[in-house]
Amino acid sequence: MPPSGIPAKRALPPKESSLFKEVLNLYESKQLKKGLKTADLILKKYPEHGETLCMKGLILTHMGRREEGLELVKKGVRLDLTSHICWHVFGLIQKGEKNYEEALKSYTQALRFDKENLNILRDAAHLQTQLRHFDGLVETRHTLLRLRPNLRQNWIGLAVAYHLNGNLTETKKVVEHYERTLKNVPDYDVEHSEVLLYHVRVLEELGELAEALNLLDVNAKSRAIIDRTAIMEYRARILSKMKNVEDAEHTWQALIQQNPDNYDYFKGYFSNQGLDLFQVTEETRDKALQILREFSTQLPRAAAPRRLALGVATGDEFKQLAEAYLISALEKGIPSLFTDIKALYKEPSKQESIQGIVESHRERLSSPSPPSPSSESEPPTTYLWTLYFLAQHYSFIGQHINSLALLETALKHTPTLPELFMFRARVLKRLGDPFGAARCMDEARLLDLQDRFLNTKVGKYRLRAGMEEEAQEVLGLFTKKDASSPGADLEDMQSLLFLTEDASCHHRNGNLGMALKRYHSVQKVFNEVEDDQYDFHGYSLRRFTINVYLEMIPWADRLRSHVAYVQSAIAASQIYVRLHDDPSIATKSSADNLTDAEKKAKKKAKKAAQKVQEEAKKGHPQTSATEDKGLEPGPAKDDDPDGSKLLKSTDPLDRAWKFLSPLAILELDDVEAWIAIYDVAVRRKKFLQAVRALNRVHSLDPENSELHVRLVHLRHIVLSLPQPPPEPIGPVLAEALDKLLSPEVSLETYNSQYLQQHSTSARSILASAKVLHLLGATPAEEIDNTIFNIFNPEVQVDIEAALDVVAFLRSIRSARVGEFRAACDKKFELSTVFKAPAELISLRRKAIATIEDVEKANGEKTEVVT
Amino acid sequence: MSSTSRSQSRVSFASLTPNNLGTVRKLNSVLFPIKYSEKFYQDVLLPEVEDFCKLVYFNDVPVGTICCRFETAGETTKLYLMTMGVLAPYRSRGLGSKSLEHVITAALTHTKPKIDSIYLHVQVSNAAAKGFYERHGFKEVAVHENYYKKLVPHDAWILERSLADHTEENK
Repeated sequence: MPPSGIPAKRALPPKESSLFKEVLNLYESKQLKKGLKTADLILKKYPEHGETLCMKGLILTHMGRREEGLELVKKGVRLDLTSHICWHVFGLIQKGEKNYEEALKSYTQALRFDKENLNILRDAAHLQTQLRHFDGLVETRHTLLRLRPNLRQNWIGLAVAYHLNGNLTETKKVVEHYERTLKNVPDYDVEHSEVLLYHVRVLEELGELAEALNLLDVNAKSRAIIDRTAIMEYRARILSKMKNVEDAEHTWQALIQQNPDNYDYFKGYFSNQGLDLFQVTEETRDKALQILREFSTQLPRAAAPRRLALGVATGDEFKQLAEAYLISALEKGIPSLFTDIKALYKEPSKQESIQGIVESHRERLSSPSPPSPSSESEPPTTYLWTLYFLAQHYSFIGQHINSLALLETALKHTPTLPELFMFRARVLKRLGDPFGAARCMDEARLLDLQDRFLNTKVGKYRLRAGMEEEAQEVLGLFTKKDASSPGADLEDMQSLLFLTEDASCHHRNGNLGMALKRYHSVQKVFNEVEDDQYDFHGYSLRRFTINVYLEMIPWADRLRSHVAYVQSAIAASQIYVRLHDDPSIATKSSADNLTDAEKKAKKKAKKAAQKVQEEAKKGHPQTSATEDKGLEPGPAKDDDPDGSKLLKSTDPLDRAWKFLSPLAILELDDVEAWIAIYDVAVRRKKFLQAVRALNRVHSLDPENSELHVRLVHLRHIVLSLPQPPPEPIGPVLAEALDKLLSPEVSLETYNSQYLQQHSTSARSILASAKVLHLLGATPAEEIDNTIFNIFNPEVQVDIEAALDVVAFLRSIRSARVGEFRAACDKKFELSTVFKAPAELISLRRKAIATIEDVEKANGEKTEVVT
Repeated sequence: MSSTSRSQSRVSFASLTPNNLGTVRKLNSVLFPIKYSEKFYQDVLLPEVEDFCKLVYFNDVPVGTICCRFETAGETTKLYLMTMGVLAPYRSRGLGSKSLEHVITAALTHTKPKIDSIYLHVQVSNAAAKGFYERHGFKEVAVHENYYKKLVPHDAWILERSLADHTEENK
């Protein structure tokens, strides 16, 4: 910078000026203490020098004195608003705090005063990518390329920027230009190979198929592209698109030969012939089967063509193929056979055939064995796996008792196969006995204590049974021993299984604070995953891993459609809505509802949190060896170990919306999510958002029972508004709502009509009772009477729905909760979830297996060896 | 023998560890009318008997056990076969023979201490078991009267196979 341009307050005399340069160098080489001292030397004389203040703040932040550092940086920026150094430092700090939006603003400011600073440009590009500001990204990458055209990654950077911005034509130009500038590419250069593949991909996406194929072939031949599998995959795909059926077929075939278990290759092979492998019609069935048969002969060891044929074949043909497939798998003893096959059950005739095949196989095996059983006869394990398969089959189709009987037979035959106990646990779970299920899973675990899968399952089943503490105990067998608690370690490891199951365990137990705490942990995990992509904006271009990178970006965009996030967001929003509707829950939930075990757990959690903090304190002096703590804040102190602060938050709806807004943006086809969005939106008085959510539910499932409740609710709310919402919201809302719910019918009539139409569905009965309660005019007894219709013989009711009814009756303080529970307990014979609270305590105690359980198999022992 | 079997039946052995002891307990509980003490389960985990205490797997499913201990008196060391059993559906497939041979082979090559013989008890009502061990080179050496306190009959044969003289080995 020319000295003449320096504003007076920034200019330093030569001595200080050179000191300042030293500060910069010391910072770059991370000599923080020295840097700090030098900065102080300048500030002694010029305490108002903005750039020095910022540098000092930056250094302090690196040394772990974050708050002090941030203060200085802010002060420095204020004192020198036109310094690129000040804004750059501010941006760095904001970026460290993952505040990308603000960081980008600071970088933009910095660039105003130093347009060609490469470091700032590069960081800005990463921020723009992270924030998906692709227009700006193209501009930044352009500048970078103009400044440093000899850097290869700058070319790719611009090409990718255009690509992300949807301008493939420019992408192509840039890549071509780049390739022309290359000289002396070494042989087997992975990075060059990636670029060429990328080039092919761009041409393919542009529809310039002949050019794409030509480029691919030339560079495959010259070995410039070295990824052989990718070459074949690209080739097969492009040839298919070019309708070059014959050549494409050869390539697909070669791919299948290479990896005969990749369904995509089969899919490609078939679609090349105009056949949709997963949507076979009567006309195409024979041909498809014929092809699969040929593959089965060619590839005797591959399972894929045989399994695919089962999806295609029908009738006797299916029976014949299924028999061969099933029997061979049972003989091999493949534990996952049922999981593999159950997708076929969508077709009832196939389900029936499979049952017939395996049942007659069982009959054959269980009939009195030939006179001399020897190694020539069928191995007994085949019979065992057959029983196991059938048990899964019958439970899947709802015949749980049948399934339990089969498992009993299997356990008599071979009592040492953990799968049998595991599946018995699952059947008990389905029958509504989470305690028996947990115990059974534990019995499986005791057979093999080093099996981490079994251990995890026991943890999960205990959580399902509401046994939070016992779950952590067993999970703790496999977590880090020096963690403050098993839960804390599992949280560090981002175990979504634990976080979601533990949250819903607390939720069911009525400990809403802990439930919220865990749901927020899930949210945090997803935030971290989102942040993790940041580093790849630089890395992937530097290492030319462009093709996977371009797949990662849209993946990250849909990150929160992951089931763990969706369910956590919905559940957390439901708790926040409850807290909004009745803030008194916050105080009740934390104290009254706790059982002894929970109180103990709470104490434990507090102790653990204390331990963490003490260790953090102790840790401080030790870690000073590495004085640089980086720009990212360290792990925050847990000042809310039991989530009670979350319960008392004053903005429950805003917090709920923070969970849900990504779901609204992703436009998921998820009824529950849209219902949750409605519940929060309507309470935030966002009526258009609310009615839009109901529209989405309506398009997904017009008869949905929760939708029925919400429609009445919205009408009810709108009617009770002192005045309609202002234009244009009011009319749009009215019109949308009228379309969903005719304004001519009274809500009472509408509700009774709905009930009449769906009188055999438990959920609909519950919904109409909810509406009666909502409208407020119905006496409590009548609501109860409506609910008790559920026990009419023609009503279909499952355990889940019955539990929801219990929760509803509790929420309206019905006098007949106990009666309803007892009736369910009777109706669902093997269930335990409807037992009285006192009984549940003893059930919990019995849910843990012991050595005695393992040994009790054969009744009393007469002889004791000591 | 099993070379003609149409399905590949695999027999394998696994050492006992604290982790798979639950499987051993489960097998003992269904195989024997005897409850074994905690001491039994501690002893089978001792490192020196690792070669002589095994779980027996058939097609990767644990279906049997064999457990021995050392008995040293003065200069001689004997291997005492405490338990051996295979689940009923898996019998007559050579699993017992393979298990016993496995232990005998290990005993023959064992040096510290050198093993002089293997012996065991068989209830006098169980002629089939006696026949089985005799086929594997064991001989009746004595009858232990009132060996079993509660099981009837109370007496047991003592069967022994000497390992000191290798010429006696009949395979």
